[in-house]
Amino acid sequence: MSAVNVSADLSSEMEVDAFRRLFPLRFYERHLLESIRPDARPLEKARDTTLALGAVASADGSALAKIGLTTMLAAVKMEVMTPTTESPDEGCIAIDFHMPPICSPMVRPGRPAEVATVISKQLSDTIVSSGMINLKDLCLVRGKAAWMAYLDIYCLDADGALFDTALLSAVAAFSHLTIPVVSLNDDGRVVVSEETEGQKMDNEPVNKDKRKLELNSIPFSLTCILHKNYVLADPTAEEESVMDTLMTVVLNSSCQLVSLHKPGGTFLAYNAAVQDCIALARQRVKELQSILTEAISDMEVD
Amino acid sequence: MAGKDNATPTTYSPSPKIQKQKRAPVFSDVDWVRPDGRAFHQCRPAFLRTGAVNSASGSAYAEFGNTKVIVSVFGPRESKKAMKYSDTGRLNCNVSYTTFATPTRGQGSDGKEISAKLHKALEGAIILDTFPKTTVDVFALVLESGGSDLPVVISCASLALADAGIMLYDLISAVSVSCLGKSLVIDPVLEEESYQEAGLMITCMASRSEITQLAISGEWSTPKVHEAMELCLNACSKLGEIMRACLKESSSASKE
Repeated sequence: MSAVNVSADLSSEMEVDAFRRLFPLRFYERHLLESIRPDARPLEKARDTTLALGAVASADGSALAKIGLTTMLAAVKMEVMTPTTESPDEGCIAIDFHMPPICSPMVRPGRPAEVATVISKQLSDTIVSSGMINLKDLCLVRGKAAWMAYLDIYCLDADGALFDTALLSAVAAFSHLTIPVVSLNDDGRVVVSEETEGQKMDNEPVNKDKRKLELNSIPFSLTCILHKNYVLADPTAEEESVMDTLMTVVLNSSCQLVSLHKPGGTFLAYNAAVQDCIALARQRVKELQSILTEAISDMEVD
Repeated sequence: MAGKDNATPTTYSPSPKIQKQKRAPVFSDVDWVRPDGRAFHQCRPAFLRTGAVNSASGSAYAEFGNTKVIVSVFGPRESKKAMKYSDTGRLNCNVSYTTFATPTRGQGSDGKEISAKLHKALEGAIILDTFPKTTVDVFALVLESGGSDLPVVISCASLALADAGIMLYDLISAVSVSCLGKSLVIDPVLEEESYQEAGLMITCMASRSEITQLAISGEWSTPKVHEAMELCLNACSKLGEIMRACLKESSSASKE
């Protein structure tokens, strides 16, 4: 208790930066009392979000997503596999989330960061269970060949809300994806058919009318911090380190709940807090949806 | 459905690699056109920006044609516990590739060799005495590999070091040259690199006229080496100017 009193007294005398470093929780709580955050955002407001499609030329589909300073680069590469006997007409999606050492001072080269593994699993669960992609659309030749879509997401700059940004970049990369036209060659392997003028193609392409994936209900997410009875939307890395109770809500484009994730933390979530988070996520889905639509239409103009 | 991963089927890229090798390009002629239509002694346009990664002490992004890299610098910070006491600072370099950096997924190098070369190229330019007992970490990620990766990583790293305020004797700029048939091509792209008979790379501190690294591979004749070195040094000093301009721009922008 004495520490709290000391910090309260010191706050009037100390420099702001010093106070922020020495008593981060007190620093934040003083802001919360005024319903404002240190970066001048109201509690329920998410940071500026931008999306650029087609950032990587060597991939079949790619996107760069930025929420505040958090930056993610996602790219899809299509490869061919033999479908399993249980589902001969289905393709597969493999999702991997990477945190290279460039993104944060906490990550060192060598072993991958613990959060990276967690987010990787969470992303693939979300994308698969949302039913965004019909795996049957990835089939090429029943029982013989299907697409394996490798989605790799790289965190370039980590400043909180990693899962939200990763999911946004992932769905954007899938919206940008253009499947290469392929045909079966004489050995039964699938190869890209190159259209050369004045020369007839050796083999008939197998997927000429299936260049784009149809995305059914796109999942979007919002992460909030629960602290006492405050709910802070879209936290920065500093906020996440000071207040450790997080809740992630994933909704699809028609605002149905896909998943709700609250990985422990000091504060327990009451009904009201959960409902607040879902309400905030609903608003956020609309924002994110229009950002995605805009990015796609920008792409088509070019 | 994700559970199928435990029996991950083997996959292959549908790109027609074998077909391409059949029609090997003819570089022995005197006049052939480079894949991107450049003149033989013309570098790709360089796009450089500092401050790409906010959570790092310093960072830079470089884009030379299709080669795109990000370098972050952390520190000076505490050395690893296992390290012995040292009067001078330490430099630690790590380069990695994204899985989609190369045309076929996951074919990028593991970055060990290129990390070591980056370390050697930078070491000579950093005033290590200014941060005793601590380590400066230089981490690079190749987002897309489009040829001449190492020189781009080195130039970008020196820019990131300057952005982090690490004391340097001078900025380092790096340029490579490939020898294809009778011609020398500067700043080669991936395709040219894969067919090159000989290669040469210089990393230098242009305003001090000092070379920190010189790598020569393949078979060279003496006049050719001279010509190639002349070309590289010339391009290095020009690139150095561009890097300097980029730093000036970012520092004047931050003052405003």
